[in-house]
Amino acid sequence: MIISTSRFGQVELKQEDVLTFPEGLLGFGDLRKFALLDDPNDEIFAWLQSCEAPQIAFPVLEPELFAPQYKATLTKSDMEALKLSAQEKARYFSIVTIPDDPTQMTANLKAPVVVNVEARTARQCVLQDNNLAIREPIFTKLQQRVVQNPAVAIKNQSSGIDVATKLNVVKEVGL
Amino acid sequence: MLVLTRKLGESIAIDDHIKIRVVQIKGKQVRLGIEAPKDTKIHREEVYVAIQEQNQQSASVPADKTRSVAKLLKP
Repeated sequence: MIISTSRFGQVELKQEDVLTFPEGLLGFGDLRKFALLDDPNDEIFAWLQSCEAPQIAFPVLEPELFAPQYKATLTKSDMEALKLSAQEKARYFSIVTIPDDPTQMTANLKAPVVVNVEARTARQCVLQDNNLAIREPIFTKLQQRVVQNPAVAIKNQSSGIDVATKLNVVKEVGL
Repeated sequence: MLVLTRKLGESIAIDDHIKIRVVQIKGKQVRLGIEAPKDTKIHREEVYVAIQEQNQQSASVPADKTRSVAKLLKP
């Protein structure tokens, strides 16, 4: 199948690349189908792209890249909605906001996007832990990560990028 | 919306397992005690509003922005 995106043009996906969000994302409840795209021109982020609204896409990062101690505890209802049998089988992605000054960028640790890779189901889970920030500053933490291991692209240092689909652009966005 | 009047110390039961009690009334503030099963998510509504705002702002990030961040991160 081919989807339209405002950032990458026409993108080719396989049916199994599509993630279903039965409840959408907070503020985007109408959008149920997304794909995680791995942009080869981007060493850091993956994109959670809506298959239904070309202009809606979220840069995402795995929290382990900037918060190695990150631990999300899912409730029984989260697990049921995701059709998950064991919490360890879930993959987590934080939605990132990048303002004009990228050093001020933040990630949402409070409400990660949790993916059941096998069932291709996903959900933005609002965690009960009050110590988790909705806007966690991450620029310096990512910078440290880059300094520690400059030879490897940062997204290849995490385990979940294999969930993402290599961006396969059929037709570039007209410039 | 169902609207109920409660006095200090009185409660509201929701389903069989959730109880909300008025614990304190002080000026314009009301303190509520909530008893619910461990699995019930309880958040101030602001949390949801803040997450929605964060999502909205995130959705407006252009593709070249994330690409340029990679260069910035290199010392």
